[in-house]
Amino acid sequence: MTQVFQPPFVFLVKLVFLAVLVMAFIGIVLLRALTAEAHAVNEAVEQPVPFSHKHHVTDVGLDCRYCHAEVETQAFAGIPPVSTCMTCHSKLFTDQAALAPVVKSWETGVPLQWERVHQLPDFVYFNHAIHVAKGVGCESCHGRVDTMALETRTQDLSMKWCLSCHEAPEKFLRPREEEFTMGYKAADQATLGMELVQAYSIDRRRMMDCSLCHR
Amino acid sequence: MSSLTARQREAAQALRASVNGARGEHYWRALESFADDPRVHELFPQLRDMGASLDRRAFLKLMGASMAMAGLAACSGPPSDRIVPLLGRGDGAPPQRSLFYATAVAVAGEVAGILVETNEGRPTKIEGNPEHPLNAGATDAITQAMILELWDPDRSQTPYRKQAVASWDTFDGDAAVLRQTYGKDGSRLRVLSGRLHSTTAIDQAGQWLRRFPGSRWHIHEAIDDAAVMAGLDLAYGRPLRPRLDVSHARVILTLEADLLGDMPGKMKAARDFTANRDPTTGSMTRLYAVESSPTLTGANADHTFPMDASDIPGLVDALAAKLGVGLQSNPDLVFPALDAIVNDLKMHIGTSLVVAGRSLPAPVHACVAAINHALGNVGTSIHYLPVEDIESGAGTLAGLVADMHARKVDTLLILDGNPAYAAPAMLDFAGALKKVRQSIHFGLYRDETAALCDWHLPSLHPLEAWSDLRAADGTVSVQQPVISPLYAGRSLHALLGGIIGDVDNDDMARVMATWKLSGSAWDEALRRGSINTAVTPTVMLGAPRVAGTPSAMPSSQARSADAVDVVFRPDATLWDGRHANNGWLQELPRPLTRLTWHNAALVSPSLAAERKLANGDIVELRAGKRRLEIPIWIAPGQAPRTVALALGGGRWRAGQVGTGQGSNANALRHTDSPWFEAGVQMIATGRRRELASTQEHQAMNGRDIVRASTLDAFRDNPSFARGKPTPPSFYPDRSPGEYAWGMSIDLNACIGCNACTIACQSENNIPVVGEDQVRRGRQMHWIRVDRYYTGQPAAPRTFHQPVPCMHCEHAPCEVVCPVGATVHDSEGLNLQVYNRCVGTRFCANNCPYKVRRFNFLEFSEWASEQSKARRNPEVTVRSRGVMEKCTYCVQRIESAHIEADREGRRIADGEVVTACQAVCPTKAIVFGNVADDATAVARAKASPRSYALLEELNTRPRTTYLAAIRNPNPAIEGDA
Repeated sequence: MTQVFQPPFVFLVKLVFLAVLVMAFIGIVLLRALTAEAHAVNEAVEQPVPFSHKHHVTDVGLDCRYCHAEVETQAFAGIPPVSTCMTCHSKLFTDQAALAPVVKSWETGVPLQWERVHQLPDFVYFNHAIHVAKGVGCESCHGRVDTMALETRTQDLSMKWCLSCHEAPEKFLRPREEEFTMGYKAADQATLGMELVQAYSIDRRRMMDCSLCHR
Repeated sequence: MSSLTARQREAAQALRASVNGARGEHYWRALESFADDPRVHELFPQLRDMGASLDRRAFLKLMGASMAMAGLAACSGPPSDRIVPLLGRGDGAPPQRSLFYATAVAVAGEVAGILVETNEGRPTKIEGNPEHPLNAGATDAITQAMILELWDPDRSQTPYRKQAVASWDTFDGDAAVLRQTYGKDGSRLRVLSGRLHSTTAIDQAGQWLRRFPGSRWHIHEAIDDAAVMAGLDLAYGRPLRPRLDVSHARVILTLEADLLGDMPGKMKAARDFTANRDPTTGSMTRLYAVESSPTLTGANADHTFPMDASDIPGLVDALAAKLGVGLQSNPDLVFPALDAIVNDLKMHIGTSLVVAGRSLPAPVHACVAAINHALGNVGTSIHYLPVEDIESGAGTLAGLVADMHARKVDTLLILDGNPAYAAPAMLDFAGALKKVRQSIHFGLYRDETAALCDWHLPSLHPLEAWSDLRAADGTVSVQQPVISPLYAGRSLHALLGGIIGDVDNDDMARVMATWKLSGSAWDEALRRGSINTAVTPTVMLGAPRVAGTPSAMPSSQARSADAVDVVFRPDATLWDGRHANNGWLQELPRPLTRLTWHNAALVSPSLAAERKLANGDIVELRAGKRRLEIPIWIAPGQAPRTVALALGGGRWRAGQVGTGQGSNANALRHTDSPWFEAGVQMIATGRRRELASTQEHQAMNGRDIVRASTLDAFRDNPSFARGKPTPPSFYPDRSPGEYAWGMSIDLNACIGCNACTIACQSENNIPVVGEDQVRRGRQMHWIRVDRYYTGQPAAPRTFHQPVPCMHCEHAPCEVVCPVGATVHDSEGLNLQVYNRCVGTRFCANNCPYKVRRFNFLEFSEWASEQSKARRNPEVTVRSRGVMEKCTYCVQRIESAHIEADREGRRIADGEVVTACQAVCPTKAIVFGNVADDATAVARAKASPRSYALLEELNTRPRTTYLAAIRNPNPAIEGDA
């Protein structure tokens, strides 16, 4: 009796298994490629100007709102117009190579193009103003900006991450006057958080509503 | 080829011969073989460097490397986003994402004062200007759709000379020649424009006529009020425009007049009319409508009398005789209700109103002027405004065409008009244009006329240009640009100024100079959107002359047994066809027929039965040599032997959207009688065209969908509409949130104008699906306006009912969704979460109200940059395979929530205004927090007229209705 599986057939089966493996690999790579964010968490993002938050916040002592002026009133926190840079840099460091694109932008009228570091999907409608009004500190989402030589993303910005706070805001809230402080730690976050939820009249009934972020 | 050497020429010839000899499959092989042909290399020496330098091994190496590179590149993910900041802030004010600018547009023969919402500089939505006396915060459907026109990729983007792209500089050169040629004698120079709403343009026209002595200005509108003005000329000895004040009228009789649908000042008329029809006050304005074809006015009237168009002048005769102003009565007239109507009018001296429509001939208007005078209405419910000199002195289109045929015109400038399409076909405008040496077309699109002219010049869109516009009531509005011009267009003012040599001024300076405004007064006019001081005084007049008898119309005797009357009507959305390339307007169901994308000849049920015609059967209409083929549509309430045709169809160069949609009724129009044609033969062709209607069911099949009563019955039983008490439910009640959003729609106020549908489409990025998809019932409108008939098909009573999502508290859609894509939120909204939806469509099948819409295909347009810029950034754009529906404008609720929560206060009543509510001219839609008894919506829901749609299903809708109340005259028999 001849063998049921002749050598050429076995070879074919092996080939198929190999093909399945290769396709699975390609599939994973493709899926990863199509869904990956532009920048990974904690990856420094290259910018047209090597702008250092560390220098401007820690060394110079600027308030966040000096540049991100709309953070308390608008959905988008605001990227400063070049004129804001020019309040100091029309006098300071004007000859530095690193600053050349800013000076050039100011002179030619062609705006700078910053790389976006924190990017949400288009079907998410995030609003800075309401978060600032309800006691969410900058640091809670953006991390220790005062230590970043180049801006990096410290959170994965997934929906799960958003909801971790929406489910239990008391774990993260801080008094409004401490929102822009870097490295703030409450003595007793559990008690303070509950008090702030009350004080800022946060309606917990709707914190998990889909309509809060998706329209 | 002149630079080729003799050898190369030889090679080229040999090559050509070998290509010409190649046929069929061989043709391709021959092309492939060219690469190796030495003659090719002779001809194109540069090919040698491009020869195949790769052998098989090198090719594989390269392939492998590029695949590896592609893999690496793919790992880097989607391209990153960029943020582009401003350079500086001019005014120091904090930037805001959305801003509103007051401006005005001339639409459908009138002027609308509007607010344009811009998002980061891009106009995205039009709202009515609350400070504008005509609009008072509302707009109509066509005005709403202007935003789509602004961003239309088919708009003309550059000048064309002899159908080839040219520049404005070249035209300016031609204009200089023009100035020289006609500077002394302009008699061979003509201008054809539409109606001039702008005083600045009228001044410029005056300058034009002085600059080119002997030149003539012609005005043509396919839809005009020439008969009205001529009739008032007969009565008062000077052409006048009536200005109606419906707020003073308690009894109104309309004769072929669509007071609420297509007359100038219709928005104000609708608002005033509705304001006087609140049944709880105990008295309501009474409206009688006599019409040959159903109109919105007839649909909202207390008594509607369908009457053949050729009989209506006879009715006016009889009416005038009864009121003692006519010359003779009309013994042949059969109109039993006449005495009751006359008595009602006589009981309301000074507070009644008789309105005749633009389609009636001038003697009828003269007679109606005498009737209104006899009823004491002049100065209360009707006023007369003088007509601008330029308009009364302008030439007609027919006169112009005659001169063109007689070769008396060398240069013709066509401003913002499309006579090649919109003029009656019998005039043969295209033929006449061939006899004009130089024709210049100026307009928004390269349309039918542009294709025939030597020059086409792109005009700016009204949202890109400065101007001033005078409305039907004399209010002057400022039109200001809300975006810099998208393309290389010019405004009308700049064009005229350029030709007459007034190039020093810009348009803003021209408008400021016209009204002598500057500084803070100008700023205030811009903020308000209107110039308050500019209202035209109404004319004080003596008694009118009664001139002739209206029934002595030449056409009324000419009716034979098998002939029909034909009347022409503006299209409810396309007007005279100028909006034909607007997908929103093409797809907006016409208020009464619910037809989209194609016009039809409306015939009465009895005529259709007699001729054995069904909906969609194509007939040929013949009037003398004029012919028109058009499908029919059976319209209840149509006069027995009158066929109505809507203008605006059958454009052949409208653009990607509008070309070829509908039939061109201008083919049948006569220059002398543009609105009415008697003795027309109607012959069935035996062919059919399936029309796309959005509502097939006319009857309510015994269900109480629309609830209505009469004023007398309402007084006896105010709670007639109330249903049974809410039965218990197996579903648990939800715990209440901080607010409970709800809506109430007053069917007594809704006039069925469809403005809400377009407002919603604009606000919520709703796509257009096209005629074929509408036939399959796949239209996407989130709010539809259903139309129902009761009574006899010959003279039915018509009701309109807007239907958005009901936001049921016990929503049947939610329990069947397998992925939780449709859920409730804590404030009572029934949400649709697009990014969860997998498209099972279970929810739509389980929705008893049919308000859910499914993206069967990729309906959202992604091809053009313009449509991306147009969209509302606050609303997700949906893709194929996703269910969608009315959200109660959740984006507006959220903005109000954020605003109020930020300030630590509650959302005030009226702070959240849905798009449909904002646009409604009669304030039929009220939205707010139903949990608070003090809100307007809670008060509306407490009304005895309030009821829920299909309440027997116990879905507990948050959207409820107020029953309609009509006020019929008890002296008139029967159910009218």
